[in-house]
Amino acid sequence: MSQADLISTAVSAGFVLVMVGLAALLGFRASARLDQETLARLAAAEGVRLQAGVIDDSGRAALAKLDDGRLLVAKVMADGLSARIVAKEQARLRWGKRKLILTFADLGYPSLNMRLQNPPPWLRELGVKN
Amino acid sequence: MIAPAPQPPFAVPDAVKFAVPLFVLMIVAEMVYVRVAKKGRYQITDSAASLSMGFGNQIVGVLFGAAIQTSAYVWVYEHRLVTLPWTAAVMVACFFGEDLAYYWFHRVAHERRFFWASHVVHHTSQHYNLTTALRQTWTGALGFNYIFWLPLLYLGFPPAMVAMFSGFSLVYQFWIHTELIDRMGPFEWLFNTPSHHRVHHAVNAKYLDANYAGVLIIWDRLFGTFVAEDKKTPPRYGIVSQLGTFNPLRVALHEWAGIVRDVSGAKSLHEVINYMFGPPGWSPDGSRKTSASIKRAWADQQAAAIAGE
Repeated sequence: MSQADLISTAVSAGFVLVMVGLAALLGFRASARLDQETLARLAAAEGVRLQAGVIDDSGRAALAKLDDGRLLVAKVMADGLSARIVAKEQARLRWGKRKLILTFADLGYPSLNMRLQNPPPWLRELGVKN
Repeated sequence: MIAPAPQPPFAVPDAVKFAVPLFVLMIVAEMVYVRVAKKGRYQITDSAASLSMGFGNQIVGVLFGAAIQTSAYVWVYEHRLVTLPWTAAVMVACFFGEDLAYYWFHRVAHERRFFWASHVVHHTSQHYNLTTALRQTWTGALGFNYIFWLPLLYLGFPPAMVAMFSGFSLVYQFWIHTELIDRMGPFEWLFNTPSHHRVHHAVNAKYLDANYAGVLIIWDRLFGTFVAEDKKTPPRYGIVSQLGTFNPLRVALHEWAGIVRDVSGAKSLHEVINYMFGPPGWSPDGSRKTSASIKRAWADQQAAAIAGE
């Protein structure tokens, strides 16, 4: 890496910080929240219906059982949402410290950590033990 | 023996380097406008991810991306058919040739998973603003993206000329990543515009796999991939399976990891080839969604709705 490359890289890093700082200053911090209605809409978009759904305490992650036996997972991505419909065997579910942890093979969809005050009984059917 | 490469009659500008201050000013102006006018959308985490990807793209380019591409350009140019001079006519031809090469690169980058694995990064934002333009791949050179420009070198266009027009194209494509500019009248007949490119970034079934243009929209009109923005169908941005992360490393590598996972579980050579070079979303049993299957389902729904009226 030449000195000119180093300088231009440093200048770019500075620009990135300035722009992120400005976005913070202007208050671009909108965040979405999940609710049962949104889960039902996400399922309907795939032509399936919710059987049961659970949303974590922060409203930022959700897991639902669908009427075709698959699972719907959803998470808040800033002011948007990201959802996946997966077969049960494509997700690994386990309990951590008072958290339900869902892991997927997809590198673009990291583990969901859901804090649940009152875990619904149907989670046991999925093989998740308290 | 092949003739020596002709020297350009002027210092060839590095358009991207010169444009960076302009990029920054335009982003700042757009952010302020969005805040004041409450039109368009910004979100700090999303923009930080986009800017990080742009920064990473620059670092990868400096470290080895540019070297790989330049070596390929020079090697092919050394085996060129003819030696084209730096004249006005040749530069005009190079401009059109470069833009056509970009169209085909871009189209293949959407239609074949091996090239999509690099390009997908640019489409992973659910927002559409000027920072989205900077959300660039880190794996373009490793993914052989540059091969689409090699025919120009083989024909005899000087590497510096091709690189210059590629730079101009990249700079041109920056300003079209905005929701703040509406339709642009007759300009849209020939040129790629914010409206055309919003369609390209949209995941609505109606808009999938359309408007691959760099500078000139004529290629889409010519090759049947043009779709006009429809006021009744506001674009939703991102990718069909929206990412669940802002982590730049995951953003950069997730599709490559998907290819490795699928190929390692493939049961035949046919599956290996299709997992790598088939359309994104291809699967042996057709259980995953491709652009074609999404569009088919949408067309069926439209037909059923019309029949029911």
